[in-house]
Amino acid sequence: MIETLFAPFSRPYLARALVEAVLLGALCGAVGVYVLLRRLAFLTDAITHTVFPGVVVGFLVSGRAGIVPGALVCAVIAAGLFTAIAATRRVNEDAALAVLLTAFFGIGVVLVSRQRSYTADLTAFLFGHILTVDTTDIVVTAVVAVLACVVLVGLGKELLLRAFDPEGARAAGYRITALDLVGNMLIALVVVAAVQAVGTVLVIAMLVVPAATARLLSDRLGVILAVATGLGMLGAWLGLAVSFEASRGYGVRLAAGATIVLVLVACYALVTLGQSIRRVATRAAR
Amino acid sequence: MSKPTGPPAIVFDHATIAYGRTAALERVHGTVRAGEIVALVGPNGAGKSTLIKAVLGLVPVASGSVTVLDRRPAEARRQVAYVPQADTLDPDFPVSVAQVVLMGRYRRVGWLRPPGRVDREAAAAALAAVGLEHRAADRFGLLSGGQRQRVLLARAIAAQPAVLMLDEPFNGVDAVSQEALLGAIRNLTARGAAVVVSTHDLGLAQVSCDGVCLLNRRQFGFGPPDDVLTPDTLRAAYGGAALELGDRGLILAHS
Repeated sequence: MIETLFAPFSRPYLARALVEAVLLGALCGAVGVYVLLRRLAFLTDAITHTVFPGVVVGFLVSGRAGIVPGALVCAVIAAGLFTAIAATRRVNEDAALAVLLTAFFGIGVVLVSRQRSYTADLTAFLFGHILTVDTTDIVVTAVVAVLACVVLVGLGKELLLRAFDPEGARAAGYRITALDLVGNMLIALVVVAAVQAVGTVLVIAMLVVPAATARLLSDRLGVILAVATGLGMLGAWLGLAVSFEASRGYGVRLAAGATIVLVLVACYALVTLGQSIRRVATRAAR
Repeated sequence: MSKPTGPPAIVFDHATIAYGRTAALERVHGTVRAGEIVALVGPNGAGKSTLIKAVLGLVPVASGSVTVLDRRPAEARRQVAYVPQADTLDPDFPVSVAQVVLMGRYRRVGWLRPPGRVDREAAAAALAAVGLEHRAADRFGLLSGGQRQRVLLARAIAAQPAVLMLDEPFNGVDAVSQEALLGAIRNLTARGAAVVVSTHDLGLAQVSCDGVCLLNRRQFGFGPPDDVLTPDTLRAAYGGAALELGDRGLILAHS
């Protein structure tokens, strides 16, 4: 058992995958708490879909090296656009997001479908390729992680006030739209960092699930942040180990990124189940 | 009650406040002085919240002017504290009572820095001023509506404001919390703060406030409670919602 968790990662390509996954898990866990508090799961989903055509165009223009720059351009545009939509309260925000995310996603799929290796490319863009990440990918993720730390530590109190009481924040003189832009940009950067490893679709789970699980376990913001970060890292590690062991030991091919997500979801399900049992038990004890 | 009044804190000079082209509130004219509590009264939709937002610089003044501490409203925000209605805030939000009160210090702390010991002490003192120091570690949403309202007042007190704006703080609040709120507000005015509070409670406006501003889309009276809260002006402001009760009596039906 213990060997399953450690032994595979002596191989360099798996060690790189582990570093990338754990780094990403921590990053997504922490930023996910912001997503949770602001109830931005849908906006995050919209950003992930909007990034997709950027990934494709980047790849078409300059191959693998073009993916991150392409994603970055789209992510920055998406974050700015969505902040603007939220700021002009006249349009129905949900509908506008839905239209944009499907439109961008459609553009991405149309572009990919012109490729000969259509299916393989599409799969890679959507679900990532964590076993082929290189040092550049790790550096990108690390840079985003450092940026996320700076934003969450430096602007933590302002983002907290804005999430809890937007009217109060506005009355205190804070520029809500500017704060939201920073937050949305951060989410967009996390999506960009995750593109190579887990793809544009699965990153939403890595952002939302650890934070949601942590929220079930605690009412304290500090604890939620720590647990979400820890869970993100643990899920990434366990997921990779399980995926590797399944294919090596049992001949079952499990996609690494998706296995990580499933491990995280399993944690969420376990915690929910545990809490239901505890509730029933307390009721019975009364 | 007569007490020496301070310098003008908020001056409305024939102010009309509009969202887009439609005027939400017209011709508000009067002064709130330092050390005074002024009640904003009027039926639902009268424009009480709009007037509060105008003082906070969140809605534009279309004509006339609103002056806060001798400046334009948006420029005075650092010395103005706002207390929203507690039930507009998410009770599931994972934030402790102490954290909420500490938010009142954020503007003083400034960007990029964490609150320090002085801020924590000010927040603790503010929480004690509303009688809830024993609930500091609890989650905000676990408190009763009245207690949450007191926590939000504590947050405003922690900011040490010169002007305090409260939006319907007594709505659905139990008697204990109402007394605690009023006590803490009086402490603030005794130290020279100007307080504006919107309320449906005319009795409270009459007994506990130094001035009353009676609104329904426009101003119907602004002055001492005895001058404004007369059957004639109330009848004019509330229209069909005012029911006569003989001589000097009048009751107001809430729609």
